[in-house]
Amino acid sequence: MCETCGCGNPEGYKVQGPYHTHSHGEDHPHEHIHEHGHDHTHSHTHSNDDDHQLSHDHTHQKIIKLNVDILSANNLTAGMNRRFFEGRKVLCLNLVSSPGSGKTTILEKTIISLIPSKKIYVIEGDQQTHLDADRIAKTGATAIQINTGSGCHLDAKMVESAVEKLDIEANSILFIENVGNLVCPAMFDLGEQKRVVVVSTTEGEDKPVKYPNMFETSHLCIINKSDLLPYVDFSLEEFIKNTRIVNPDLKVITVSARTGEGMDKWFDWIFNQRKN
Amino acid sequence: MHEFSLAQDVIRLAEYEAEKNDARIVSEITIEIGNMSGVDADAFESALGLLKEGSILEDAYLNIIRIWGRGVCNACNKEFEMNKRTDTCPECGSFPSEIKGGNEFRVVSLEIYD
Repeated sequence: MCETCGCGNPEGYKVQGPYHTHSHGEDHPHEHIHEHGHDHTHSHTHSNDDDHQLSHDHTHQKIIKLNVDILSANNLTAGMNRRFFEGRKVLCLNLVSSPGSGKTTILEKTIISLIPSKKIYVIEGDQQTHLDADRIAKTGATAIQINTGSGCHLDAKMVESAVEKLDIEANSILFIENVGNLVCPAMFDLGEQKRVVVVSTTEGEDKPVKYPNMFETSHLCIINKSDLLPYVDFSLEEFIKNTRIVNPDLKVITVSARTGEGMDKWFDWIFNQRKN
Repeated sequence: MHEFSLAQDVIRLAEYEAEKNDARIVSEITIEIGNMSGVDADAFESALGLLKEGSILEDAYLNIIRIWGRGVCNACNKEFEMNKRTDTCPECGSFPSEIKGGNEFRVVSLEIYD
């Protein structure tokens, strides 16, 4: 069982939305609630009606060598998602963090700045409610909410079912806001091009060494709430030193989504990804 | 980590392979779990122990092999045991340049009877 949140069965997730605000003031979301009660339990029952039933009753022992990565089913779906994004030249970024780091606020400010030039989609992952998707929809982006139920992370299959409903335009940007959790989402590739880990200055500078898997698998680290630096005991230097231990290639930028400080570095990073 | 859902994935995999190989019984499943894979081997074993009831793995012996991480020192090239990602070389204190094991999480084999 998940050690962070004690979640059990992850298959009771549902996808809600898309939510988008209409320019003519009609801003109620279309409530298409689809229950995705897990649809890939392959139950193949073969009836052996043929008359060549087991004519001999002795059994054979056999060893089947597999050497299969247990996450391979997720990784396969993630690979298909990634191909789809690449084919449509969609930049897909997976935002991960602990709860309360400011991912949704960063996204709101980012969308407001970028939407004049780019079509933007957001997949929101939370255990319950569509509060975040509603917040995002107000910025003009198209948002879809995945409620993981008891699950503690998004997986590639959930993203696939959300993408099926989004009808993503070419050359757009898709942000995936993962469930706030620094443990489980690290293991699940969703098919994103880049993973962005967000931390805030109100968290400890030891986060990278306490949750090494997440920092090791990320490409960019955004330190949010820089406006609070004068009031908190957060050593930027110490934090960067800790990121180097687990991931020497991790790029670190400091922003304040609230005041806008440093946000241009984040936008530049996004546009550089598009060029690559 | 999400040991319960991963245990379900293992059962699905075993059922698929058993059917493909016309197995009536799976008597043993061998799984390797590295100590830095992000999977808690004890929690995973308990989860699989609970979930295998009523599945093809019901009577299977769970052979869970725990694999210790090994790093190669960046400075003195010595190989050393790693318990976590931030472990350094016991000889000179440098970080590893290469991690050779500890990330495994795979089904190695199934022993079946047809």
